[in-house]
Order: sequence, then C-alpha cells, then structure tokens
Amino acid sequence: MKAILFVFPFVLAVAYFPISQCQNLPLIEQTCKQTPYYGLCVTLLKSDPRSKTAGDVQAIALIMVDIIKAKAGGALQHIEKLKQKYPALRVPLSACKDRFNAIIIGDVPQAVEALTKGDPKFAVDAANDAALEADSCERGFSGKSPITQMNKLNHDISIITASIVKTML
Amino acid sequence: MADSNVSYNPLPDGERPRPTRRRSIVLVLSGLLVVGFLVALLSDNGSIAPANVIDNDNNNVNDNAKNGLNDVSSSSKEPERLRPFTSASSAGVSEKSNRRFGSRTASYPWTNNMLSWQRTAFHFQPQKNWMNDPNGPVFYKGWYHLFYQYNPNGAIWGDIVWGHAVSKDLIHWYHLPLAMVADQWYDIMGVWTGSATILSDGKLMMLYTGSTNESVQVQNLAYPADPSDPLLIKWVKYPGNPVLVPPPGIGAKDFRDPTTAWLTSEGKWRIAIGSRINRTGITFVYDTKDFINYELLRGVLHGVPNTGMWECVDFYPVSTTGEHGLDTSHNGPGVKHVVKASMDDDRHDYYAIGTYHEKNVTWVPDNPEIDVGIGIRYDYGLFYASKTFYDQNKKRRVLWGWIGESDSEIADVKKGWASLQGIPRTVALDTKTGSNLLQWPVEEVDSLRLTSKEFEKIELKPGSVMPLDVGSATQLDIVAEFELDKAALEKTAESNVEFSCSSSEGSAERGALGPFGLLVLADDSLSEQTPVYFYIAKGKDGSLKTYFCTDQSRSSEANDVNKSKYGSFVPVLEGEKFSMRVLVDHSIVEGFAQGGRTTITSRVYPTKAIYGAARVFLFNNATGASVTSSLKAWQMNSAFIRPYPDDDDERHSGTEPTHEVRGSKTKYLGNLLTSSLLFLNARNNFL
Repeated sequence: MKAILFVFPFVLAVAYFPISQCQNLPLIEQTCKQTPYYGLCVTLLKSDPRSKTAGDVQAIALIMVDIIKAKAGGALQHIEKLKQKYPALRVPLSACKDRFNAIIIGDVPQAVEALTKGDPKFAVDAANDAALEADSCERGFSGKSPITQMNKLNHDISIITASIVKTML
Repeated sequence: MADSNVSYNPLPDGERPRPTRRRSIVLVLSGLLVVGFLVALLSDNGSIAPANVIDNDNNNVNDNAKNGLNDVSSSSKEPERLRPFTSASSAGVSEKSNRRFGSRTASYPWTNNMLSWQRTAFHFQPQKNWMNDPNGPVFYKGWYHLFYQYNPNGAIWGDIVWGHAVSKDLIHWYHLPLAMVADQWYDIMGVWTGSATILSDGKLMMLYTGSTNESVQVQNLAYPADPSDPLLIKWVKYPGNPVLVPPPGIGAKDFRDPTTAWLTSEGKWRIAIGSRINRTGITFVYDTKDFINYELLRGVLHGVPNTGMWECVDFYPVSTTGEHGLDTSHNGPGVKHVVKASMDDDRHDYYAIGTYHEKNVTWVPDNPEIDVGIGIRYDYGLFYASKTFYDQNKKRRVLWGWIGESDSEIADVKKGWASLQGIPRTVALDTKTGSNLLQWPVEEVDSLRLTSKEFEKIELKPGSVMPLDVGSATQLDIVAEFELDKAALEKTAESNVEFSCSSSEGSAERGALGPFGLLVLADDSLSEQTPVYFYIAKGKDGSLKTYFCTDQSRSSEANDVNKSKYGSFVPVLEGEKFSMRVLVDHSIVEGFAQGGRTTITSRVYPTKAIYGAARVFLFNNATGASVTSSLKAWQMNSAFIRPYPDDDDERHSGTEPTHEVRGSKTKYLGNLLTSSLLFLNARNNFL
C-alpha cells in the first residue's frame, strides 16, 4: 500500500512524457508559431489525429494541405445548397464554385506533389493561390456575401499552410 | 486516551515517532508530485503564450503580417484579413502572394476570349500544360535544342519530365517528343533540371538531377541514343546512375541542377552544383574525366550567408573587351567569370562578376556588397531558373529564363496551360560600366519585324499622354529614346528619400523628373494600362539616379492577378539618352533599358486591352520637365511554333521541314482567320 503511494507519482512521471509526445505538442506549437494564425493552426492540427504521429514539418504541411482540400470540398457542397437558397447570387456563387474547384484540382495536387517529391516552393505557391481564390470568391459578392466566414476560414488555413511550407525552404 | 483513528501497536519508547514521520513525509511528497504533474499536464493542454494572439474577431493582435507587407496600397480599403500573408523575412513568398487589390470590383470572370488571347505568338511555350526551368540548351549539328521541365498531365507543377524542341534560329521552334521521362528509380519522382556539355570530340553529355523513389536528389548522366541524329530525339540514361549523390552533411533535398562542365588546364571536366548549409547558399565543385566518376573538390566555389538554397547555379566566362561570348571552358587574360544562382527563398535570379582561381577552385566577387543573392538580378520582374549556353554557331552566350504565370490558378486550369520561356537573350559584360552584364534579345528576333511606324522628336509636356498609331498593339517591338532638357535636370531639388519602383505609387507617383515612358496593353479609356517607364530621382549629393520600372497596378480590371510594380536602378552614363526596348507579345511584356543594363519581364492579363482594343501611348507624368521622345514600333510576326512534322525522311535528313512551308502558310491563314474572328468577337464584346 505504502509502496503504491510512493511509486504512483513516478508512474505518472513515466506516463506523462509519452502522453505529451502522443499529442506531438512541441512540433505543432513550434510549427504554428511560424504562422500568423497560431490559435487556428493549433486547433486544426490538434483535432486531426494524424498530427499525433507527424514526424516533421513536411508531415504537418501535408496534413494542412489535406485540410485545405477538405474545407474546399465542404465549401463546394455549401455553395451548391446556397445556389438554391439565393438564386439572385447565382453568378458570384458559380464563380466561387470555379474557384474552389481550382483549389481542389490545381492547388492541392501541386502542393502534395511539391511536398512529397521534394521541391516545396511549389507548395508555397499553391497554398498562396488557394488563399487568393478564397479571397476572389468573397470579392465577387461586392460586400453581400453569404459565405464570408467560410471564405475567411479557407483563406486563413491556406495562409497557415504557406507559412509552414516557407519554413522548409 | 480516547480511541484514535490511527491504530498502531505501541512500540517501545524511542521507536514510536520515527515510522509515523517518515510515512507522512512520503505521503506529502507523493501528493505534491502528483499535484505537480497534473498542473504541468494541464498547463500544456492550454496555450503557451503564443506569438500571435487571436482576438474574438479572429484578427491578429500582434500582427506580424502587417509589418511584413511593404507595399500597402493606400488606395486599398480592404479589411486586413483579405490580404494574403507576406512573410516579414522576404519581400515576396511568390508572385502569387504579392497581390495588391485595388477597388472593390467584383471578382472577374475569365472568358475564353480573354484567356485564349493570352497565348503568345513568338515566345516559346508547349502546346498545353505546365512548363518551368529551361534545361540543357545547346547548339548541336546545326540545331538549337531547348529542353524544359514539363508536366504532361496538367497545368500545374508535377509529374515532371523533359520536354524538347528544336530550332534553326532560336525563334521558330518545332516540338519534339519528350526527351526523358521518369522511368527509373533514380528519377521516378522527377526528371529535374540539368545542363549539356559538348566534349572536345563533339560528344554530348547531359547531366541532370533526378528525384529518387525516396525523394533524394541525385545527379544522373544521359546521352543521345544516336549521336548522328541532329534532332537528338532519343536519349539513353547511363545504366550506372546516379553518378552523384548528396555529399555527407548535405540535405537529401539540397543538391540539384548541375551546370555545363568546363575544362580545366589539367584536362579534367569541372561542374558546379548548388546547395546550402543552414542558411548559407553554396556551390560545390566536382572534377571528372568521364562524367561517371567524380571527385568532390575541397570547400566550395563560393557561398553567401543568409541567401538560402542556391538552385540552378550557372558559371561562365565573359570577355572584358569584346561583345562576343566565350566558350564555357575559356579562361585567361581579358576574362572575368560570372556566378549566378536562383534563390529558392525569394524566387529571383542573381548574378555577380568576379575572378575565378582555377588552382584553388575559388571564385571571388569583384564587389562583395553586390555578391550573389544580395546584388544584381538578371531581371527585376518574373524571371527564374535561368540558364546560359555558349552558342558556338554565332559565338555568343545565350540566356534562357522561365517566366511563370502571375494570374490565379482558376485561369490556368481554364486555359489549360501555364508558363513561358522568356525571349532568348545574349549576355555580355557591359564594358562601359564593367560592373554589370548587358542582356539583349537575340538578333533573330528582328527577323519577326513586319511593318513599322516611326515617330520623331515628340514633345511631351508634364502630365501628358499621347496615343501612338502603331496599328495592332499586341505583338510589338518598340525601341524608344527619351531626352529631358538639361535645365530641368539641373534645377530640380534634391531629395532625401530613396526611390524604389516596388514601393512607389507606380506611374501615378509624380516626381519632378519622372515617370515618363510607354503605356502598353492599354485600352482607349486607359482603364487598363501597363506603364514601362523611367523615373529620375535627384539624390542628396545632387547626382541623378535613374530607375526603370513596370507598373502592373492598373494592368487589368481583374483583381486576381499580380498588381505589383517591378524595377530597379539603371546606370545612365554621361551623354547617354534614356533608351528602352519593349517587346509586347500578348500576356508578356519585356523591357530592356540602356541597352540591357536593367531588364523587367512582366505577365499581363488585361480583360479589355486585348485583340484590336489594345493601344500604345507615350506618357510624361513628371511635374518639372518636358520629355522629347523618338521611337520606332514594329508589328511582330508569329513564330508559328508547332510540332515537328512526322515525316521520317525529314527527321533523318535533319533539315528544316520543307513540306511544312505549305502547311505553315495554311496555318498562317488559319491563324489570321481565327484572329480576325476573335477580333470581331472581341470588338462586339467591347462595344
């Protein structure tokens, strides 16, 4: 009994370090500090189980690219719904559809290629473009956008990604 | 004594207190440790004081991004969040990040009309898809060869293989089949950039970087399958590849782009390969006798701290006396050597002039303040991964450069292609200044000139814009001279402020002695215009300093294209007029100032100033001086770049295709018809 009480805190100590490594906190935090949206960056990565086993910045960057892809896909679905709901916004919504489509078929594949094959600057370009596409989508509404928050999120995620990959150059 | 909760057996006197105290101490310590660990665990789950604190509106309270944006456009009223992040450590992450949004115009829809206009008439580009670095340029058995990084599958970077084209004159190109594809373990992740060397016996060796199945950068040897085939259609990879792997201590992804080899006085071949150690960009040097076995020479040829990875290193001699080029192996008196590298970090090509010491394998810059990576750029616009080759046919050194897009991906996807090669340029030492190179479009460009219009001594008062009737204005070669009256130059007040094209207000920023120059790809109402101009600033000591700039801020009403200003200082010597040559070829504008001392390449994507609606103007927006200009403008023909005909006979004879003459006429008429139809269509849209 006494032995258990004595040993318990040391067991906790031994258990503590693997717990923090499971969360991969130092890598996530260090990486996110290099971006202008630290809080968002940490939140996104922590909620993605893959970040627990990411071994380096490249792995983190690939997770972020996948998040761009997922969010852009979500944007496309949302835009389809909005087209029904706001027929008057059909034109800018169609433009937005093209923009998010360009992110998915252009920027994301280029970023993945660049990161996996070893020339990351092309991933910086792609991520920056993804931010630009989200911005351009927003501008198409001339101030009356029904998807401002969504566009901002997509923009910020892309900027985070570009910042992260920039550190690899 | 009342009953106590603690039961123990009374111990003999003297022993009773000790066991109790020890157990209590252990309990307390354990408790403290448990509490301590829990506190540590929980505080890590919260946020460690972040560098950037996000407030409720998701705005960055410590806004590093704002500090990093150098060119905040004062006319922009956009909320900060819409501005893409520009790293404080570099002026531009990439061309796509340097957006300067103007007014709140709606996002511009790109029509097929606008997009198809963007294809160039006399700049090299494949029929579709993505291209980047020029590779292995060489003159061999009567043909100029150009290879290039190419994606056969899309308009983005990826699946990179070697495209191939040939020409007799560096202008009229024929597309050939892909020279090399990613079919070996040592280049399966990419057949990347490389250079050609012609040996003394005429043999051609190609060294290139492969990205292996594990994404390690290695150097490989390839050579023509049939050296007697002047078109060099088929290539063989040396079975023992790779011939070079990253040296110890060098990153697996920091070792690429081998140069053309040069012969040492010992009869060995020497090559350079760029790399980095931490943030210092460097160039390794290797000696070889057979292009298969290499000796890494001690140290590095050169390195510059804080420049990052050096890509596409180039190393070549220039004559200090003549304008002609020198063979890469040439050395001796009357020779300086140029080291050039592409900076991976800021996407610009820099060069420096210096002295090569063969014995101790070093190169020393003439002026360390303008060393590689921190000094002079080949081009102050979009121009990267450039490479020279010695053209033994015309005894000149020719420079190729990759010109990327500065539009958005949506447009590239829609139009199905991305990137151009710049117009090939000769490079030579500027013997008048001795401290920079001169670049000029190869003389064969002149063969594209058709009709011309000449204008003599046009006087432009301060604040004037004058239309030039040159006919069609999308394919032009303009050579212009400008003079200011001496009195105006002398009486202008001095300024303390250092001028910079990129942080200025562009052509709208009126100074006493500038800006003045040309407006290209402009429409009648000037709602779209691309000024290419001079700006003269008077420094503190009364000396005049001239800048050459291109202003993209009003180049298009679309707001998803690059709107920044490019340019730099250009030396103007006593007695020289201000002179520029501007090539306009649809979506590319290349300006050459003072005979090529400073050059600027821009990609321009107008929505209105296209086809028959494009115009050219002269302008003088200075406040204190009139400008007199004389210029000549030529219509430029198309180069009709097309696939090499499939006829086997002509391939083997290696002569320029003859059957194609008729075909080319048909193509010309076809192009004419198409252009006319598009023009009429555009006019309808415009009206």
